[in-house]
Amino acid sequence: MEPLVDFLQNTLDGIALGASYALLALGFTLIFGVLRRANLSYGPAIMLGLYVATWAHLHFAHGLAVLFLIALASTVLAGAYVERLCFAPHRGGSAVAAMVASFALWMQLEEIATLALPRHLYEFPALYDGPALSLGPLAVRPEALVMLAAAITVAAALWAILHRTRFGTAVRALIDAPRAAALCGIHAGAVSIQVFALASAIGAIAGFLIVASHAQVTPMLGMWSTLKGMLAMMLGGLGSLPGAVIGGLALGLIEAHSQWYLGPQFRDFVAYLLLFALLALRPPWMSTRSAS
Amino acid sequence: MDEYTIGVLTNVGLLAFLALSAYVLLVAGELSFGQQAFFGVGAYAAGVGTAMLALPLPLAAALAMGLGAGAAALVGLPTLRLRGLYFAMATLAAAEMFRIGFELFRWQVEVGGERVGPDGTQGFRGIRWVFEHGVEPAQFLLMVWALLGAVLGVLVFVERSRLGVAVRAGGQDPELAAAVGLDVLRIKLGAIVAAGALAALGGALFAHHNTYIEPRNFDIMLGVHSLAYALIGGLGTVLGPLLGVALDIGLLEGGRFLKEYRMIVFGGLVAVLLMFRPRGVLDERAVHRLTRWR
Amino acid sequence: MLSVRDLVTAYGKIEALRGVSLDVAQGSITCLLGPNGAGKTTLMMTLAGILKPRRGRVEFSGRRLDGVAPHRIVASGIALVPENRLVFPNMTVLENLHAGAYQRRGGIEHDIERLFGRFPRLKERAAQPAGTLSGGEQQMLAVARALMSRPSLLLMDEPSLGLAPLVVEEIFKIIAELHRDGATIFLVEQNAHMALKVAQHFYLMEQGRITFSGDPGSLAEDEVIRRAYLGTAR
Repeated sequence: MEPLVDFLQNTLDGIALGASYALLALGFTLIFGVLRRANLSYGPAIMLGLYVATWAHLHFAHGLAVLFLIALASTVLAGAYVERLCFAPHRGGSAVAAMVASFALWMQLEEIATLALPRHLYEFPALYDGPALSLGPLAVRPEALVMLAAAITVAAALWAILHRTRFGTAVRALIDAPRAAALCGIHAGAVSIQVFALASAIGAIAGFLIVASHAQVTPMLGMWSTLKGMLAMMLGGLGSLPGAVIGGLALGLIEAHSQWYLGPQFRDFVAYLLLFALLALRPPWMSTRSAS
Repeated sequence: MDEYTIGVLTNVGLLAFLALSAYVLLVAGELSFGQQAFFGVGAYAAGVGTAMLALPLPLAAALAMGLGAGAAALVGLPTLRLRGLYFAMATLAAAEMFRIGFELFRWQVEVGGERVGPDGTQGFRGIRWVFEHGVEPAQFLLMVWALLGAVLGVLVFVERSRLGVAVRAGGQDPELAAAVGLDVLRIKLGAIVAAGALAALGGALFAHHNTYIEPRNFDIMLGVHSLAYALIGGLGTVLGPLLGVALDIGLLEGGRFLKEYRMIVFGGLVAVLLMFRPRGVLDERAVHRLTRWR
Repeated sequence: MLSVRDLVTAYGKIEALRGVSLDVAQGSITCLLGPNGAGKTTLMMTLAGILKPRRGRVEFSGRRLDGVAPHRIVASGIALVPENRLVFPNMTVLENLHAGAYQRRGGIEHDIERLFGRFPRLKERAAQPAGTLSGGEQQMLAVARALMSRPSLLLMDEPSLGLAPLVVEEIFKIIAELHRDGATIFLVEQNAHMALKVAQHFYLMEQGRITFSGDPGSLAEDEVIRRAYLGTAR
């Protein structure tokens, strides 16, 4: 009985963790799918957004909803800034230059954030600070349920946007066949900045829920978000949105189980090992370009 | 030269090895997020060599280069056919495994009544060969730059040879290169192994400059920095990566008047620079123009 | 309607178009023939704005269009049916048509119904991903998608490429029908025999230059075909 309970508990924890990774991966994948470029500044933009919210919290703002809106607005602004400076100039040009430029802005955004709030840790209002719910022998944190609900809602909303709107048609056309999209009169530059705004908004939702679940922000948030988003995207097959969700959940499950069964130091190791093996062996789903 | 300047110049030299290692791969058409792993392998190997096995530094550095090359081959062989972001992610995953490996690496021996050796996340202290052999900071600086000069010389020689042309051709258009009969995969593996050895040499010197290393030194930040150095400096010449490091460390350390706004200024500068020169300051065209002046 | 003067487009140092001049009259089918590598697709890509010309002018209904971005060219009323069809493989047939109407608002559903009347096969497959269609169906979809932007000039790049003879017949029947309904069409073709049957005017292109222009019949068909496939003796 005991091993089964452990297994189920780890699976639950893994899904909760994976929901946050799935959200991060959705934003990362949206940008990658449309631009075929990795945006290393994705996480730092989220970090800056939450640092602005934390700063506002320390000075004047109260209430989770207000803080969320502040984080959302500043992350979207930071994302648009990254797009204009790192990706718009290199459209149709060098992918490496765009990526290195986004790394340069990573340094910049992180520095701005830590200049405003230099300590290593700041408290953030908690999403929930009561006890965990018990489900028989299993414990479920309510904020994990919120995270899961958010991931499902965001994924569904994103699906609707991509399949039911004119903007969505343009995005999917660009992902599917960029040249054909241009011939249909779809202006990649105009769509690209909207995609950045949307992806940043999703990232802000993810970052906000993560920070509010832990009731703290640290300067690691930027690098952590970029790495986890990229890793989950790769695990789910590069550039596919359903894949991003699956990759995120898979990453969460892998981390939760390997931490429990192999020890904390193997938590990340197993995920990296699996990614490396997947890349080396190239199973068919790793090369799909579909985003629908 | 005061101690501070010596320190800055030594750092520029050490990081230049890593930047050159990223440069070699960029010229070969590949993007690595993982060169820091081989820098780390070199640092640990050389540290073990001098501090635990009582080897002289040159021998320990040679051992480090060998292990770095071997580790790079280990990563390179299964990933040889990957391109672009796939290759970059595979190298990142491998490098993170190495870093976690360093965290798990515990092996200590008694040296002069003191326990010396890697101690997991606590790092590896007491790599004091340089200090114990009375090498002055200025002498060490000279050593680093002499080695760097030698490496640059070899790289210049290779770039001008048929091999160098083949590497560049394979990097810019692998299909075309394969069509004219170049063994693209073998060239790429060669570049990966050479880059690994280069990074390891830098790591070996880094460990002996710092006397203390820890797994955190070799995280993704270091790798992406070296990549950025190579690209900012320019892909046209082996001096590019050197310029990249000098620009960053120069602005970082030299521009003390900017102090806390350093990264804000530097980050923006790099992004703007890349708009106008996507292959760096010293790109192929700039190099062509400069060399015509002779 | 469309006038091209001294157009030069280059890939690096290699000039694929070396001073091309031609005209397409309103309401006509004009055809461009030539051997592989003559620069026909380069010309189409330049007219559509995907490639930027190095020199020369493109005027369409009195407006300069050389070097203009593709989305503005679509807005000015030109649509290209690209070589190899280039449909959106992971989007459904219906979504492909909506993508074609990206710059328009209103009247889209009505146009889709009308096109479904012309291409009943597409209607049957409306909910199917375009990548699962046969080559001929994809070609029809590519034509229908281009028509969704309501172009006043339709550019077609090798619509018969890689298709079975019966399907080619069908495609040319559609081209003739579109023309009868008033469309202006500028067509690049390898299949000179079929192209000369529908065209009112044709150009021969060899090595990046226009080497002959005339009406079908102004040059013996076998001579046209010989030069279209092989080029003139060098």
